[in-house]
Amino acid sequence: MIVAYIVLTLLWLSVIVYAALGGADFGGGIWDFLAFGPQAEKQRRLVGRALGPVWEANHVWLIFLIVGLYTAFPIVFSTVSIALFVPFSIALIGIVLRGSAFAFRGHAAAVTTSKFLGRIFSTASTITPFMLGASAAAVASGQIRAPAGNVQTDLWTGWTTPFALTIGAMAVSLCAVLAAVYLILEARAIKDTVLEEAFRTRAIITGAITAVLGAIGILLSQSEAPLLWHGMLAHAIPIVIATMVVGLCTAAALFLRRYQLARILMLLEVAFLLGSWGVSQLPYIIPPDVTVLNAASPSLTLLEFLISTVIGMLILLPSLWFLFHVFKGENPVPRVQGKGSEGQQHHD
Amino acid sequence: MANILAARAQMGTSLAFHIIFSVLGVGLPLLLCVAEGLALKNKDATWMALTRRWTKAFAILFAIGAVSGTIISFEIGLLWPTFTKYSGSIIGLPFALEGFAFFTEAIFLGLYLYGWDRLSPRVHWLCSFPVWISGAASAWFIVSANSWMNTPAGFEIKNGQVTGINPFQAILNPSTPYETIHMILACYVATGFAVAAIYAVAMLRGKRGDYYRKGLLLGLAMGAIAIPLQIVSGDFNARFLASAQPAKFAAMEAHFKTETGPPLLIGGFADPATGQVYYAIEIPHGESLLVNGDLNSTIKGLDAIAPNDRPNPLPVHLSFDGMVGSGFFILFVGIVFWLLYFFRKRVVPANRLLLWGIFLSGPLAFLAIELGWMVTEEGRQPWTISGFLRTQDAVTPAPWLNVSFLIFSVIYVLLAITLVVLLLRLARKPLPNLQWPLAETDEEESDEMVGAK
Repeated sequence: MIVAYIVLTLLWLSVIVYAALGGADFGGGIWDFLAFGPQAEKQRRLVGRALGPVWEANHVWLIFLIVGLYTAFPIVFSTVSIALFVPFSIALIGIVLRGSAFAFRGHAAAVTTSKFLGRIFSTASTITPFMLGASAAAVASGQIRAPAGNVQTDLWTGWTTPFALTIGAMAVSLCAVLAAVYLILEARAIKDTVLEEAFRTRAIITGAITAVLGAIGILLSQSEAPLLWHGMLAHAIPIVIATMVVGLCTAAALFLRRYQLARILMLLEVAFLLGSWGVSQLPYIIPPDVTVLNAASPSLTLLEFLISTVIGMLILLPSLWFLFHVFKGENPVPRVQGKGSEGQQHHD
Repeated sequence: MANILAARAQMGTSLAFHIIFSVLGVGLPLLLCVAEGLALKNKDATWMALTRRWTKAFAILFAIGAVSGTIISFEIGLLWPTFTKYSGSIIGLPFALEGFAFFTEAIFLGLYLYGWDRLSPRVHWLCSFPVWISGAASAWFIVSANSWMNTPAGFEIKNGQVTGINPFQAILNPSTPYETIHMILACYVATGFAVAAIYAVAMLRGKRGDYYRKGLLLGLAMGAIAIPLQIVSGDFNARFLASAQPAKFAAMEAHFKTETGPPLLIGGFADPATGQVYYAIEIPHGESLLVNGDLNSTIKGLDAIAPNDRPNPLPVHLSFDGMVGSGFFILFVGIVFWLLYFFRKRVVPANRLLLWGIFLSGPLAFLAIELGWMVTEEGRQPWTISGFLRTQDAVTPAPWLNVSFLIFSVIYVLLAITLVVLLLRLARKPLPNLQWPLAETDEEESDEMVGAK
């Protein structure tokens, strides 16, 4: 059924967008944690300013992924809910603590409270992507067995292997690179060259770490995720090579201080990385028992989901563009004193 | 704690927590839209100050609602994977639609909360419209999914297999119009009276300015328009349940025996072991009259339901009567207030008794919502999908659910305490100088909101 593949692609795109936007949010928390030196406070303020208007909108991609799986591939949702109960529960606790700590921190009266909430925020920002990365590796490893939708693995299978732990760590460092690249541009928007350079350094270092962890992951996959390994070498090889090439170009762009380009390349890198994973696994969603076709909902459901998504995107994408236009980029809409209450100005 | 009990306890606690923020997420945006509209139209600094203050409160509430909503969407899978396996293709769609509505609300709320200085006043006000419209739409979608659990539709069972799945039919199942309207009205009742309650407290403490008057009036306006509609909706809902879900109806009315011309039982403890109701106030033929307009109609009791399929009338009946009682109290308070207001030619009545009544109505309205959900969820037991999937068969095989329940309960308690502390602190902030144009949100205030202090 072609519809099943179209919906799957859509859901995969939402994983990519979540990684690109939500991942940067997690990365912001990581840099908040790692802020040190005389610039630490300024770094934290930059993170806060960047995250403020957009973090709730960013995390809705995760919800879309969950409800999308629930509607279009319910067996996948129910299987991972059982097999990955532990990492998902931990990731969930992280998401909760993170969101609330961030919301509360701005109102903390005492500096110690603010610091405490900050610690919660940044710890949770590290744990959640790690768990999500390890969960992804568990799925890719083929160790989750669920013939006819009946889960047969125990609670620890798949996500506690060296391969899974490596991918978990890679997820964390990927979030860190993403955030660092965005923060370079945020620093530029407020014309702070010291911060710009600080985050450039961080981006390069964590980029290198991510690449190393990725290489270790690929090596480990030979023994611990053979289906993935073979898929990468076979039908996914063009994407895998493209991922490496884009990664090198991103590093080059960072070195040459071409930051706008670096951001675009970084987003492409995330897309190709996750694309490699998805394509390597085809036709399985949860190898080896759950395939695209045996997990898909009937075509009427898929079609209605697809149509709803298209209509939803027609409303959402322009709205999202407007949000980012007002607050982000090299030229966000300027703040104007006295604008909020006169009722006489006509700037739109 | 047995696994299924822990799972139900965790889900119930999560929902009871989340509903508070969902309700405010539907009601507050409408208040903001009206208040800011009045401010701009009349160049009124007081309405603008109220808008600004409510906006700050809403920023915190929305964030907590977003995380608690994320928990729910995970928990549906983590706690009830068998439910998700069977129901996803049928009723997953409204969850996706709710996701879009919530996403839209989040985007425009981002613009509204942080765009005071960057958008023109008119554009800023226009951004409030998608917020309250999406909020109401979200409520509609989610409640349609719950409606489906009560009166399933949009599929067939042939040879033990689910076929003929039609998601639109599933969304438009028989309960949807009743439940959705009832919940959306509940949001407006509760938000309106909760906001009014805050200003009633201020007035009980002697504060009498225009600011408190207007806050009280707008909250009461929304609440008092919604509550009579809600009572009527409740009546329609109950009558519908008598035919569509007779087991739930019998439990909520503590109606053990099928009989002709049954009395209305107000309050009382329904003991399933003895089949008796203790300490209830009986109104002869009341039940029969309410349901069918006839003193001697026959109404099914719990005895008409197979023993394994009966919900427990003890909590269901008490919850139902608690909800209805709260609703009537709130209606009474609303009527008294508006009668006095108009008789005294638009002077806000400052009668202490009345202000206490308004103050109580705020939390009572939220209590009514929690009790109402108890009725509909407990009253549907032992089913998760009425007539198709039992709750005991829907739960996850994963162990340690009592640990999970404990952790999340602790998180909810901590969140609630922090929230109350923050909101009280916000409420105690001194008011700005109430002159038009209102003093700008300065850099420090905005920094506060982004957590960059």
